[in-house]
Amino acid sequence: MKIENTKAQMRKGVLEYCILGILSNGDAYASDIIEHLKKAELIVVEGTLYPLLTRLKNAGLLEYRWEESTSGPPRKYYSLSTEGKAFQKELKSTWDALQKAVEHITTSK
Amino acid sequence: MNKTININLSGIIYHLDEGAYENFNAYINAIKDRLSHEEGGAEIIADIESRIAEIFSMRLSEGKRQVVTQEDVDFIISTLGRPEDFADTAEETDPPQTETKRRFFRNPDETVIGGVCSGIAAYFNIDVVWIRVLFLVLLFFTGIGFITYIILWAAIPEAKTTAQKLQMRGEPVNLGNIEKKFKEFEAQGKAFGKKFKNTPRGFFDFITNTIGAILGFILKFFGVVLAIIGSVIAFTLIVALIGVFGSTWNLGGFDFIDINGYIYGMDGAQALFGSGWRLMALRVGTLLTLLMPLFALVVFLAKLFGKSVSNARLLSFAGIASFIIGLILIFISAGSLATDFKERATEVEKLPIPGNSLVLEADILEESTGFLFDIDDDQLRVENVRFNIERTNDSTAHLELRHSASGRNHAEARQRAQRFDFKTEQSGETLRLSEYFSVPEDALYRGQDLKVTLRLPVGTTVFLDPSLENIIYDLENVQNLWDGDMLGHTWIMTDRGLDCADCPIIEYYSAEDLEENIEQKLEELELELKRLKDR
Repeated sequence: MKIENTKAQMRKGVLEYCILGILSNGDAYASDIIEHLKKAELIVVEGTLYPLLTRLKNAGLLEYRWEESTSGPPRKYYSLSTEGKAFQKELKSTWDALQKAVEHITTSK
Repeated sequence: MNKTININLSGIIYHLDEGAYENFNAYINAIKDRLSHEEGGAEIIADIESRIAEIFSMRLSEGKRQVVTQEDVDFIISTLGRPEDFADTAEETDPPQTETKRRFFRNPDETVIGGVCSGIAAYFNIDVVWIRVLFLVLLFFTGIGFITYIILWAAIPEAKTTAQKLQMRGEPVNLGNIEKKFKEFEAQGKAFGKKFKNTPRGFFDFITNTIGAILGFILKFFGVVLAIIGSVIAFTLIVALIGVFGSTWNLGGFDFIDINGYIYGMDGAQALFGSGWRLMALRVGTLLTLLMPLFALVVFLAKLFGKSVSNARLLSFAGIASFIIGLILIFISAGSLATDFKERATEVEKLPIPGNSLVLEADILEESTGFLFDIDDDQLRVENVRFNIERTNDSTAHLELRHSASGRNHAEARQRAQRFDFKTEQSGETLRLSEYFSVPEDALYRGQDLKVTLRLPVGTTVFLDPSLENIIYDLENVQNLWDGDMLGHTWIMTDRGLDCADCPIIEYYSAEDLEENIEQKLEELELELKRLKDR
């Protein structure tokens, strides 16, 4: 069992939640989201994100609009749909609970 | 000067230099392969392309450049990640094992001449030695190997980029493999460096180096042999080319090259094709078909001596094109010629031959070239005369000339059949025949032949001179002798046919006859014995 694989699995598990979290603070276009995730070292390469964004959008959790860009082609700005907002809230409570549970188990003796 | 290739990403045109394009193309195709079977794949690909466009635009304007280079592509790959990273993370599946299509490429990393053999070996995934042996065998036993090699050399592109080298071996083009290849290449380079730096130390090194040197020598030797063979072929082709336009080149009163057309069959060609468009088409067609091997040889010899021909590709394309056009011209010319042989007609002429005792001779044609027909002083000389003797019920002898010819239609064939000239000469008892007949040159050769039949009334004698040997054809005779055996004898026409007047009488017995004779003799002897006993 490789440690890298396990780490990647853990990161992937929370990636959706993180994207929704970033968008709950305001609209963002793909590169902004990537920037946040990269800073947090949740992703290494951008490629991972595009399929995920499209899937979330197709699931009705995200919406997007086109905005002109000064450098390059027009950009897709993503925002949370109402469904997405509800989804995000539910995930947040699950995450908080999970975090507590994990902390409790790993620190208790 | 580097070639650039334009691509369109999200509606913006980018110029990529050639190497960058190859790698970028391999990269984007690998991504598309991976995403195309996914839901919303097209949209994801559009998003990715749009992102790539953004990065390109950014980098180009930062560097104030026009052309996207390999560095930019490398940056894209490091930013966006390898194709494997594009799979949807939530539904991790094994990457689909798509069978990568192999493509034919010449292998520039393992070459003796053009890398054709190693390319084929890579395609079929077998050791290159077998392919090389096969080509050498084909070369030395049939020569086909040479032509095949040249054609393949011209037709198969060289694997220039890493992506093409992977395709050549049927390995999927993805970044992992490209990286692997790069590492291999580097390792190879290092190994090479070592080989040249190190002097042979151990015994084993010494052996391998020696074998390497010997092999190198053998390969060079083959190269020289190939060069010689190639030069001979080239020379022959050039001579043949001159022959096609065969004529005497008279420069300043000095016969520069004297090539009689018929050496290369040009007189024959003219007798067949006339001097109109068909002969032109044949000549030009032959010239064009010969250009390809000539071009190929030029490139081949140049490469053999280490010189690269800058327009090799253009040359080979021109060669192939001219070869095909040439063949078409030849086929059109020959096809049109074939229609001229459609109908056949025969014209009969009778010449009275006085006298009831004849001596037959033939004019032996000294300058015969051995061809069926030849152009000789504006006449077409046809050596297709068949002489025969038959019985007639008329009171006097006569010579019957049956001249046949072909033509596009019956009228033309008849007209042609009427035009011929056969020389006979009678002085006293002697009748001299010619070995050939002539037709006007403009009548062209259209399968003309002449059957000469001497019809003799019963009782006429005729001496057959040995000079008739070339035209005598299947003469019926009482003795049933072969044509050649009939010459030099006097014959008399009888009711039963020609009978030899002075042939030595030879009694022929077949095995059956002999058996019958013996039986008969035995019977007689038995009867004799019986008679003696009875007494």
